[in-house]
Amino acid sequence: MKKVISVVLCLGLTMGMMAGCGAKEENEGSRQITFMIPDWGVPNDELLAEFTEETGIDVVINEVSWDDIRDKIAIAASGGSSAADVVEVDWSWVGEFYAADWLEEIELPEEEKADMPTLDTFTVEGKTLAVPYANDYRLSYYNTVQYKEAGIQSPPKTWDEVYENAKILKEAKVVDYPFAIPLNAEEAATTSLIWLAYTMNGVVFNGDGTLNRDSVLAALNYEEKMLQEELIDPSDKTSSGMDAYRRLLSGDAGFMTGPTSFAARSSNSEECSVVGQIEPILVPGKIGNSEHTMALPEAIGITKFSKNKEDAETFVKWYTSPKMQKELYKTNSAIPTHNTVLEELISDGTITDSGAMLEEAKRISSPFPNGVPSYYSEMSNAIYNAVNKMALGELTSEEAFAEMDGKITELAGK
Amino acid sequence: MMKKALPYLLLAPMMIIMGVLVFYPVIETFSYSLKKWKLTAPGDISFVGLGNYVSVLKSPSFWYSLQNTLFLLAVVVLFTTIISIAVALFLNVESRVSGLMLAAAVLPWALPPYVNGVLWKFIMSSGYGFLNKLLITLHVTDQPVEWLSSRWLLLLAVALVVTWRSIPFMALVCLAGRKALPGSLYEAARIDGGSSFQIFRKITVPLMLPFVGIGITSTSVTAVNVFDEIVALSGMGDLGKNIVVESYLTTFSFLDFGKGSAITYLVMLLAGILGIFYLRSLNREVMYG
Repeated sequence: MKKVISVVLCLGLTMGMMAGCGAKEENEGSRQITFMIPDWGVPNDELLAEFTEETGIDVVINEVSWDDIRDKIAIAASGGSSAADVVEVDWSWVGEFYAADWLEEIELPEEEKADMPTLDTFTVEGKTLAVPYANDYRLSYYNTVQYKEAGIQSPPKTWDEVYENAKILKEAKVVDYPFAIPLNAEEAATTSLIWLAYTMNGVVFNGDGTLNRDSVLAALNYEEKMLQEELIDPSDKTSSGMDAYRRLLSGDAGFMTGPTSFAARSSNSEECSVVGQIEPILVPGKIGNSEHTMALPEAIGITKFSKNKEDAETFVKWYTSPKMQKELYKTNSAIPTHNTVLEELISDGTITDSGAMLEEAKRISSPFPNGVPSYYSEMSNAIYNAVNKMALGELTSEEAFAEMDGKITELAGK
Repeated sequence: MMKKALPYLLLAPMMIIMGVLVFYPVIETFSYSLKKWKLTAPGDISFVGLGNYVSVLKSPSFWYSLQNTLFLLAVVVLFTTIISIAVALFLNVESRVSGLMLAAAVLPWALPPYVNGVLWKFIMSSGYGFLNKLLITLHVTDQPVEWLSSRWLLLLAVALVVTWRSIPFMALVCLAGRKALPGSLYEAARIDGGSSFQIFRKITVPLMLPFVGIGITSTSVTAVNVFDEIVALSGMGDLGKNIVVESYLTTFSFLDFGKGSAITYLVMLLAGILGIFYLRSLNREVMYG
């Protein structure tokens, strides 16, 4: 009897496993798409119900952490299938997704394109590969109370002024480490170097994809000088980029250039201990405020292997429409990518304490002359490791430049 | 007929599971490692033989991560072995709180490795870390110590965190070994006038060696495969990366499946060699005579 039971159990288990491996076509005939997105981009049930009512398309949300989405898209695409019909596309993935041919081109009206400067980042060789839904561009912030206490009358307009002000703040013992910038070996250290060089000199890369020596070295020298004069907290070398930025919110730093979300964070007493003291200002430049800022937006795109491309496109256009951008700001705090929507939300008081947010949004442009390269991950790895080694005192700024330049030149095939 | 088929039928589910989840990926990964295959260049896939292995072995980055791996291996195995034997002998002493002590000793084992790493990051962070706060409060130092900003200090920190996670398993193995030793041997030794140290050196240590061997081999495999603790403490930076992080970066960050698979195979080779010692320890006979 025991043997019979064992055999039955074994067979049952084997059959169960085989059944589990089988594919099943669900909801044949009905219109359904899948949408892979991190938690901050998930639209609420009411909005989704509205979309379904308008179009007859059901949207199945696949909420996945941001880190895992790229892996899932890559692994599915390498096997010739789609991780979802519509997926999150970070600005830094565009080059490699285009090279690998994983995204479907999306047609957008010209007036819509003109209203979204961040769309540039997702456009390669004239093809729009994804549409941005959440804006994040670099904006500067300073602590007005600390500046006044140190006797500084106006916010800085140039990077030299930022440096001089930091020295005054430290000498006046207003704050120990006045300047906050991510220097840990992670993506934020890469983007920090890129925006610093870009806002300082207007150029980061040469036309052939290699680094512009004068500009990048000047940015590295600037970071090194700030470090050597102890104007940057040593913990910025090993803590996360967000921790470095948060020093402004705790009053441990007097100046920072960072994410747009800090305009709202600095007014939130749960996150900020110096509410009312932080003002968002235009990013400094070389001889006045910079004419450029770098955007790090998030978008959604349609996967090449999707079997529901038309419905997916309908959804992308709905999700990134001006009407939805207003809703997503209210429900998900996503900063609009349409400048007209941003302007409307600021003027009607929905976005408060915006400072120079709108003016800076008009200065968004891409530091990559040929679009984000397909080797961005390797390039970023080379940059953040060299920056971190310089911060830790293992390399000089010249050596750090030589290390990253060697790798990037090799990647660019030069 | 049924009698002959029965063993195979009973083995079938496990064989299928092993085949699908172990053998197939192992073979497939080897085939990937022989190809030039970068996901961002789908039109440029070709057979390169051992080219990826040559390229990996020529890369300074690989040797740097291998050095880090060997450092972690040495420190983790040394610390885990010494502390685990001490813990096992301590837990072997019968008392009213023995059960409680055993449960407490096993606790770090129950923590997921990444959580373990994050927990220690809160302790060792130079900015907000508990350890620095403690040292400053006790006036041991004026300035926060940057525990995670130099290569060897960082690796030592990683090794300590992995050791903390590895001790429970090895201590349990050693405790099981110690409890399996017949009491009559100790009784006879005491009658013969053996001191506590002599009994420990001549009876406990030699008879526990096979169990210690199992623990060391298992700890070695754990030390080679450390990933979560490194990522939690220092991210994906160069400073503390080992060969597993190198493999992850190459495969999933740079999307180079060919080279990444070659590194994975080299990791597997290293872990496999340690696994052979593990199997030999398992099969070792214990002689009480």
